[in-house]
Amino acid sequence: MKRAMAVLAVVVLAAGLVPAFAQPVPAPETEKWLHVRVEQTQPKNELVRVNVPLALAEKVLPAIHNHGLHDGKITVDRARMEGVDLRAVLDAVKNARDGEFVTIQSTENDVRVAKENGYLLVHVRENRKATKPQVEVRVPMTVVDALLSSGTNELDLVAAIRALAAHGDTELVRVKDERSTVRVWVDSKNVSE
Amino acid sequence: MIAAKLALGALGTLTLAGAYVFHEGVIRVAVDEHKGGRNESHVHFFVPAAAVPLALHVVPEDRIRQAAERLRPLLPAIVIASRELGRLPDADLVEVRDAREHVQIRVRGGKLLIDVESPQETVHLSVPLCTVNEVARELESRVPAS
Repeated sequence: MKRAMAVLAVVVLAAGLVPAFAQPVPAPETEKWLHVRVEQTQPKNELVRVNVPLALAEKVLPAIHNHGLHDGKITVDRARMEGVDLRAVLDAVKNARDGEFVTIQSTENDVRVAKENGYLLVHVRENRKATKPQVEVRVPMTVVDALLSSGTNELDLVAAIRALAAHGDTELVRVKDERSTVRVWVDSKNVSE
Repeated sequence: MIAAKLALGALGTLTLAGAYVFHEGVIRVAVDEHKGGRNESHVHFFVPAAAVPLALHVVPEDRIRQAAERLRPLLPAIVIASRELGRLPDADLVEVRDAREHVQIRVRGGKLLIDVESPQETVHLSVPLCTVNEVARELESRVPAS
């Protein structure tokens, strides 16, 4: 009887050890995921799918110190593109009322930049091509606010990710032309479409 | 009676040792090169994940320091990423597929799986994330002070 109990104890102990070390802790259901899907049809069929948990990005970014990225922030000098001060532009948009900031309609392109219902919207359509390639960008203003929250000459990427996670499911970018389709969105699913 | 007790003791020790060695799971590496003909190579092995951090103590210190120095900028990110990924449910992180190749990076049951299928080779790698974390932390501790 004693022997049987000892064998049982050893087996139970061993069986208990394995799952205790091997089982991952389940993530909360509210975990948000950033999804990127790139589908290319020419010159060859190619599909790229990336799914990143926002909580992971939020924790890993501060550990990367490279090319102007430090502690989860990027300096504005790096963000300055062809003489455009990105931080100043975002700051101006943040403080402006809802409305259209840029509207261009030409034979070559249609461009629209607007602030609407808590979103910064950018729409570009190329008219020259028959397929009329389109770019749609839709960023929640809370994310723009978070980007500018450091109050210095830096864009706070970690704060922006946190704001994105707190926001509901949303599509951020959609690009469509005759060769490819790109989609970037956030939702609570850990699988891509 | 004494023999029975000794056998029971040995069995218990072996069971516990086995449970310890495999408690982190196994690292699986499978590489098959498809060259067509005699040059094809097949490398398949399983290693108890718990043995890897122990093996680091056997590797010459200068080699470890070299590796740690080379990986220094990435080590903090690897430590955090492996810890956080281990907490997540199963997920497909990256998938690249075209007519010839298929690459997948996934998390399944606390393991990082990397699978590559191409006309040249098939690679399957499976590593417990806790082992990645442990090795990265060990290397981080060996980075020479600058």
